[in-house]
Amino acid sequence: MQEDDRLDLELHRRVSVGDRQAFEGLYRRYAPAAYGLALRVTGQDSLAQEVVHDAFLALWRAPEAYDPGRGPFRSFFLSLVHHRAVDTVRREERLRRRAERASNLERGLGEDVAEEVVEDAYLSTRRKEVREALRTLPPDQRRVVELAYFGGYTQARIAQELGIPLGTVKTRTLAAMRKLRRALYRED
Amino acid sequence: MNEGHDRIEELLAGYVLLGLSGEDAVEADRLLSEHVPSCPRCRDAMAGFQAVAGDLALAVSPAQPPDLLLPRIRRGVAETPVRRRRRASVVAVAAGVAALVGLAGLSISLGDRVSRTEQQRGRLLAAMEALQQQGTSPVSLQSQGQTAAGLVEVSGPGLERMYVIGRDVPMPSAGRVYQLWLGSNGTFVRVEDGAFVPDDGLVLLELTVDAGRYDEILVTEERIGDAPASPSHLGHTWHAFLAQAA
Repeated sequence: MQEDDRLDLELHRRVSVGDRQAFEGLYRRYAPAAYGLALRVTGQDSLAQEVVHDAFLALWRAPEAYDPGRGPFRSFFLSLVHHRAVDTVRREERLRRRAERASNLERGLGEDVAEEVVEDAYLSTRRKEVREALRTLPPDQRRVVELAYFGGYTQARIAQELGIPLGTVKTRTLAAMRKLRRALYRED
Repeated sequence: MNEGHDRIEELLAGYVLLGLSGEDAVEADRLLSEHVPSCPRCRDAMAGFQAVAGDLALAVSPAQPPDLLLPRIRRGVAETPVRRRRRASVVAVAAGVAALVGLAGLSISLGDRVSRTEQQRGRLLAAMEALQQQGTSPVSLQSQGQTAAGLVEVSGPGLERMYVIGRDVPMPSAGRVYQLWLGSNGTFVRVEDGAFVPDDGLVLLELTVDAGRYDEILVTEERIGDAPASPSHLGHTWHAFLAQAA
């Protein structure tokens, strides 16, 4: 286990007994990543703020939802943010302009636009690894993952948008997720 | 067999990306309840995909939240009473309870997990003493159709404690937790400490509540961190009528 994961565990343990300082410690560590993600998925400042606000309060109200036996806190919390962001964007679909969203999706994953944001070094390191893993995917596979994860599209919608069979979307998604898993967790 | 697992893993990959809809979503929910918990290969695949999904968030550049966000969250925190956090008690009241509530195999399932909660030993012993008081009665909660997993409620006169125990309980849908409700004359109230997730299928809750005041018990799925005023009746649901207080 990485030292940073241990720190997260300790902060989470303290949050579980109502320690507000520890809660703010987790906020300082994860708010920029959470806000960046929420902003990318929702495409709107106000919605992104709501997502991050709700996710942190959810953590405060139900810290037991994170089980340390199931992986790093980082994965749990950012998944929680992602889930809420996708929920929000689907609810607000009619308010979203397609051109704006397409522009957001096309913004290069490898091109930082906010590197001045203060962030823990380990997150920055992991970020580079994740981007590199995404870059190694064949473009067709990367596209379906990006549309699902960052666009909040269902696989049926992706098939429609790309004009390919649903089965192809599923196959590409599985192939991409297996490759990402191998790349990020150094599996053979 | 491989073909079958490839099909399942396709669904799991779509599931963790929140990309499923229609029949695929229904099928994934069924698999996550009935197959994945007992299949090492699928459990492993699911855990790996979930980790990837968590890390994918980092592909996006971080962004500094507006300065007003933290004060807003602080206000929300201040308005939320600090609950007595009881996550560890999910596996605390261990093997001896199995015999009392008739959940065969519970003690075996718990196995070494009891030793992971050494700090809960004192509470465990107190709870077991309470459970053996005269008049304590287990009540089976009936699943509302989606799973065969069993949940049992244990309470008794003067106990002022309620225990909810279960095994083979599926994980709630992504982004949700289970929530316990108590009902009286058809109106349900949310149990303040009653949000939980199973620990490898096991549930063992200890709650400070006078169950004698209620005539129904309900478990529903709710969004993590929400505090709904009424049950959603979405996802897995269990229900039972409680014996009326004398």
